[in-house]
Amino acid sequence: MSFTFSLDFLFVILLFFIGAYCMIVSRNLIKQLIGLEIISKSALIAVISCGALINNINLAQAIIITIILVEVVVVATGLALIVKNYRLNQSIDIKKLNNLRG
Amino acid sequence: MTYHLFLYLIITIAAVMAVMHKKMLSSAIMLAVMSIGVSLLLFNFNAPWAGVFELSVCAGLITVLFISAVSLLKKEDELLKENYAKFIILPFISIALFILGTIYFMPYFEYINGYTKTNVSENLSLGEIIWKNRGFDLFGQITILATAVFVIKSIFYKRSDL
Repeated sequence: MSFTFSLDFLFVILLFFIGAYCMIVSRNLIKQLIGLEIISKSALIAVISCGALINNINLAQAIIITIILVEVVVVATGLALIVKNYRLNQSIDIKKLNNLRG
Repeated sequence: MTYHLFLYLIITIAAVMAVMHKKMLSSAIMLAVMSIGVSLLLFNFNAPWAGVFELSVCAGLITVLFISAVSLLKKEDELLKENYAKFIILPFISIALFILGTIYFMPYFEYINGYTKTNVSENLSLGEIIWKNRGFDLFGQITILATAVFVIKSIFYKRSDL
Protein backbone atom coordinates (compact mmCIF):
# COMPACT_ATOMS: atom_id res chain seq x y z
CA MET A 1 0.00 0.00 0.00
CA SER A 2 1.16 3.46 -0.79
CA PHE A 3 -0.69 5.30 1.95
CA THR A 4 1.50 7.65 3.86
CA PHE A 5 1.25 7.97 7.58
CA SER A 6 1.95 11.71 7.42
CA LEU A 7 -1.08 12.44 5.25
CA ASP A 8 -3.33 10.51 7.61
CA PHE A 9 -2.08 12.32 10.66
CA LEU A 10 -2.34 15.70 8.95
CA PHE A 11 -6.05 15.16 8.43
CA VAL A 12 -6.47 13.60 11.88
CA ILE A 13 -5.14 16.79 13.47
CA LEU A 14 -7.28 18.91 11.16
CA LEU A 15 -10.45 17.00 12.11
CA PHE A 16 -9.53 17.19 15.80
CA PHE A 17 -9.21 20.95 15.61
CA ILE A 18 -12.51 21.28 13.71
CA GLY A 19 -14.30 19.31 16.45
CA ALA A 20 -12.57 21.21 19.25
CA TYR A 21 -13.50 24.51 17.59
CA CYS A 22 -17.12 23.40 17.42
CA MET A 23 -17.11 22.44 21.10
CA ILE A 24 -15.46 25.70 22.18
CA VAL A 25 -17.55 28.10 20.15
CA SER A 26 -21.05 26.69 20.07
CA ARG A 27 -23.62 27.30 22.80
CA ASN A 28 -25.99 24.75 21.35
CA LEU A 29 -25.82 21.42 23.16
CA ILE A 30 -26.47 19.35 20.02
CA LYS A 31 -23.73 21.20 18.17
CA GLN A 32 -21.37 20.33 21.02
CA LEU A 33 -22.28 16.66 20.68
CA ILE A 34 -21.59 16.91 16.94
CA GLY A 35 -18.16 18.33 17.77
CA LEU A 36 -17.52 15.36 20.07
CA GLU A 37 -18.49 13.03 17.23
CA ILE A 38 -16.01 14.70 14.89
CA ILE A 39 -13.26 14.32 17.50
CA SER A 40 -14.04 10.62 17.94
CA LYS A 41 -13.97 10.15 14.16
CA SER A 42 -10.49 11.64 14.11
CA ALA A 43 -9.43 9.19 16.83
CA LEU A 44 -10.84 6.35 14.74
CA ILE A 45 -8.85 7.40 11.68
CA ALA A 46 -5.73 7.62 13.86
CA VAL A 47 -6.23 4.05 15.07
CA ILE A 48 -6.73 2.60 11.58
CA SER A 49 -3.76 4.57 10.28
CA CYS A 50 -1.50 3.17 13.00
CA GLY A 51 -2.81 -0.30 12.20
CA ALA A 52 -1.86 0.17 8.58
CA LEU A 53 1.56 1.42 9.66
CA ILE A 54 2.41 -1.66 11.73
CA ASN A 55 0.87 -3.92 9.09
CA ASN A 56 -1.62 -5.44 11.54
CA ILE A 57 -4.93 -4.11 10.31
CA ASN A 58 -7.06 -6.75 12.02
CA LEU A 59 -6.10 -5.62 15.52
CA ALA A 60 -7.02 -2.06 14.51
CA GLN A 61 -10.37 -3.30 13.25
CA ALA A 62 -11.06 -5.03 16.56
CA ILE A 63 -10.28 -1.80 18.43
CA ILE A 64 -12.40 0.28 16.03
CA ILE A 65 -15.44 -1.88 16.70
CA THR A 66 -15.07 -1.08 20.42
CA ILE A 67 -14.64 2.65 19.64
CA ILE A 68 -17.82 2.68 17.53
CA LEU A 69 -19.79 0.99 20.29
CA VAL A 70 -18.63 3.50 22.90
CA GLU A 71 -19.43 6.32 20.46
CA VAL A 72 -23.00 5.11 20.04
CA VAL A 73 -23.49 4.77 23.80
CA VAL A 74 -22.16 8.29 24.41
CA VAL A 75 -24.40 9.78 21.72
CA ALA A 76 -27.52 7.97 22.91
CA THR A 77 -26.98 8.96 26.54
CA GLY A 78 -26.08 12.54 25.65
CA LEU A 79 -29.11 13.01 23.44
CA ALA A 80 -31.36 11.55 26.14
CA LEU A 81 -29.92 14.04 28.64
CA ILE A 82 -30.40 16.92 26.18
CA VAL A 83 -34.03 16.03 25.50
CA LYS A 84 -34.74 15.66 29.22
CA ASN A 85 -33.06 19.00 29.90
CA TYR A 86 -35.15 20.60 27.16
CA ARG A 87 -38.32 19.30 28.74
CA LEU A 88 -37.30 20.69 32.13
CA ASN A 89 -35.84 24.06 31.14
CA GLN A 90 -37.29 24.67 27.63
CA SER A 91 -33.82 25.45 26.37
CA ILE A 92 -30.72 23.82 24.96
CA ASP A 93 -28.47 26.78 25.64
CA ILE A 94 -25.50 25.94 27.84
CA LYS A 95 -25.57 29.43 29.33
CA LYS A 96 -28.89 28.59 30.95
CA LEU A 97 -27.61 25.48 32.66
CA ASN A 98 -26.81 27.42 35.82
CA ASN A 99 -29.19 25.93 38.32
CA LEU A 100 -26.41 25.03 40.73
CA ARG A 101 -24.95 28.53 40.73
CA GLY A 102 -24.64 29.98 44.22
CA MET B 1 -3.46 7.70 -3.42
CA THR B 2 -5.57 10.26 -5.23
CA TYR B 3 -8.73 8.46 -4.11
CA HIS B 4 -7.42 8.47 -0.55
CA LEU B 5 -6.83 12.22 -0.64
CA PHE B 6 -10.24 12.76 -2.26
CA LEU B 7 -11.93 10.88 0.60
CA TYR B 8 -10.07 12.99 3.14
CA LEU B 9 -11.20 16.16 1.39
CA ILE B 10 -14.83 14.97 1.45
CA ILE B 11 -14.56 14.18 5.18
CA THR B 12 -13.02 17.54 6.01
CA ILE B 13 -15.50 19.57 3.95
CA ALA B 14 -18.43 17.67 5.50
CA ALA B 15 -17.01 18.28 9.00
CA VAL B 16 -16.61 22.00 8.35
CA MET B 17 -20.16 22.21 6.99
CA ALA B 18 -21.49 20.29 10.00
CA VAL B 19 -19.84 22.79 12.30
CA MET B 20 -20.73 25.93 10.39
CA HIS B 21 -24.31 25.22 9.36
CA LYS B 22 -26.98 27.14 11.26
CA LYS B 23 -29.72 24.52 11.15
CA MET B 24 -29.20 21.51 13.38
CA LEU B 25 -30.89 19.16 10.90
CA SER B 26 -28.39 20.08 8.18
CA SER B 27 -25.58 19.57 10.67
CA ALA B 28 -26.83 16.07 11.44
CA ILE B 29 -27.05 15.22 7.73
CA MET B 30 -23.56 16.55 7.13
CA LEU B 31 -22.35 14.36 10.01
CA ALA B 32 -23.87 11.38 8.18
CA VAL B 33 -22.02 12.36 4.99
CA MET B 34 -18.82 12.53 7.02
CA SER B 35 -19.48 9.06 8.44
CA ILE B 36 -19.99 7.69 4.93
CA GLY B 37 -16.65 9.21 3.93
CA VAL B 38 -14.94 7.63 6.95
CA SER B 39 -16.44 4.22 6.13
CA LEU B 40 -15.23 4.48 2.50
CA LEU B 41 -11.82 5.36 3.92
CA LEU B 42 -11.91 2.24 6.09
CA PHE B 43 -12.77 0.13 3.04
CA ASN B 44 -9.85 1.74 1.26
CA PHE B 45 -7.61 0.80 4.19
CA ASN B 46 -8.57 -2.83 3.56
CA ALA B 47 -10.61 -2.99 6.77
CA PRO B 48 -14.06 -4.14 5.59
CA TRP B 49 -15.54 -5.17 8.94
CA ALA B 50 -14.83 -1.84 10.55
CA GLY B 51 -16.20 -0.11 7.44
CA VAL B 52 -19.44 -2.06 7.61
CA PHE B 53 -19.79 -1.24 11.31
CA GLU B 54 -19.12 2.43 10.66
CA LEU B 55 -21.57 2.57 7.76
CA SER B 56 -24.39 0.80 9.55
CA VAL B 57 -23.99 2.24 13.02
CA CYS B 58 -22.48 5.71 12.66
CA ALA B 59 -24.05 6.71 9.36
CA GLY B 60 -27.35 4.99 10.10
CA LEU B 61 -28.15 4.76 13.78
CA ILE B 62 -26.48 7.94 15.03
CA THR B 63 -28.07 10.00 12.25
CA VAL B 64 -31.49 8.64 13.15
CA LEU B 65 -30.84 9.45 16.82
CA PHE B 66 -29.73 13.00 16.00
CA ILE B 67 -32.65 13.67 13.66
CA SER B 68 -35.18 12.33 16.15
CA ALA B 69 -33.65 14.46 18.91
CA VAL B 70 -33.74 17.55 16.68
CA SER B 71 -37.37 16.88 15.86
CA LEU B 72 -38.17 16.83 19.59
CA LEU B 73 -36.63 20.30 20.05
CA LYS B 74 -38.66 22.99 18.35
CA LYS B 75 -37.64 26.41 17.10
CA GLU B 76 -34.40 26.39 18.97
CA ASP B 77 -31.87 27.01 16.27
CA GLU B 78 -33.16 30.47 15.47
CA LEU B 79 -33.08 31.52 19.10
CA LEU B 80 -29.42 30.86 19.73
CA LYS B 81 -27.26 33.52 18.18
CA GLU B 82 -23.80 32.04 18.14
CA ASN B 83 -20.75 34.19 18.07
CA TYR B 84 -18.45 32.44 15.66
CA ALA B 85 -16.44 35.56 14.95
CA LYS B 86 -15.03 35.59 18.47
CA PHE B 87 -12.84 32.53 17.93
CA ILE B 88 -12.31 32.87 14.20
CA ILE B 89 -8.55 33.08 14.73
CA LEU B 90 -8.45 29.51 16.08
CA PRO B 91 -8.70 27.58 12.76
CA PHE B 92 -6.08 29.79 11.18
CA ILE B 93 -3.69 29.11 14.06
CA SER B 94 -4.31 25.38 13.69
CA ILE B 95 -3.74 25.50 9.92
CA ALA B 96 -0.47 27.34 10.48
CA LEU B 97 0.50 24.71 13.06
CA PHE B 98 -0.13 21.88 10.57
CA ILE B 99 1.89 23.49 7.85
CA LEU B 100 4.84 23.99 10.21
CA GLY B 101 4.41 20.51 11.64
CA THR B 102 4.23 18.95 8.20
CA ILE B 103 7.36 20.65 7.05
CA TYR B 104 9.46 19.92 10.12
CA PHE B 105 8.17 16.89 12.00
CA MET B 106 6.00 14.71 9.81
CA PRO B 107 8.75 13.23 7.62
CA TYR B 108 10.32 11.68 10.73
CA PHE B 109 7.23 9.53 11.23
CA GLU B 110 7.93 7.83 7.93
CA TYR B 111 11.12 6.32 9.35
CA ILE B 112 9.00 4.29 11.78
CA ASN B 113 7.88 2.30 8.74
CA GLY B 114 9.42 -1.13 8.97
CA TYR B 115 10.62 -0.67 12.53
CA THR B 116 7.43 -1.86 14.15
CA LYS B 117 6.64 -4.43 11.52
CA THR B 118 9.23 -6.76 12.99
CA ASN B 119 7.37 -6.90 16.28
CA VAL B 120 4.28 -8.44 14.72
CA SER B 121 4.84 -12.13 15.16
CA GLU B 122 1.72 -13.51 13.57
CA ASN B 123 -1.13 -12.01 11.63
CA LEU B 124 -4.30 -13.37 13.15
CA SER B 125 -7.67 -12.93 11.52
CA LEU B 126 -10.27 -10.60 12.99
CA GLY B 127 -12.34 -13.35 14.58
CA GLU B 128 -9.30 -14.88 16.26
CA ILE B 129 -8.27 -11.50 17.65
CA ILE B 130 -11.74 -10.76 19.00
CA TRP B 131 -12.24 -14.19 20.57
CA LYS B 132 -8.73 -15.03 21.71
CA ASN B 133 -6.76 -11.86 22.37
CA ARG B 134 -9.55 -9.50 23.29
CA GLY B 135 -12.15 -11.88 24.62
CA PHE B 136 -12.42 -10.10 27.95
CA ASP B 137 -13.25 -6.86 26.14
CA LEU B 138 -16.55 -8.32 25.01
CA PHE B 139 -17.58 -8.43 28.67
CA GLY B 140 -16.76 -4.75 28.97
CA GLN B 141 -18.69 -3.90 25.82
CA ILE B 142 -21.76 -5.72 27.07
CA THR B 143 -21.44 -3.87 30.38
CA ILE B 144 -21.26 -0.52 28.58
CA LEU B 145 -24.38 -1.34 26.56
CA ALA B 146 -26.25 -2.41 29.70
CA THR B 147 -25.17 0.79 31.44
CA ALA B 148 -26.50 2.87 28.55
CA VAL B 149 -29.84 1.11 28.68
CA PHE B 150 -30.02 1.63 32.44
CA VAL B 151 -29.11 5.34 32.15
CA ILE B 152 -31.69 6.04 29.45
CA LYS B 153 -34.32 4.15 31.38
CA SER B 154 -33.55 6.15 34.51
CA ILE B 155 -33.55 9.49 32.64
CA PHE B 156 -37.00 8.94 31.20
CA TYR B 157 -38.41 7.44 34.36
CA LYS B 158 -42.15 7.72 34.62
CA ARG B 159 -43.47 7.66 38.11
CA SER B 160 -46.45 5.45 38.54
CA ASP B 161 -49.48 6.82 40.30
CA LEU B 162 -49.46 6.20 44.00
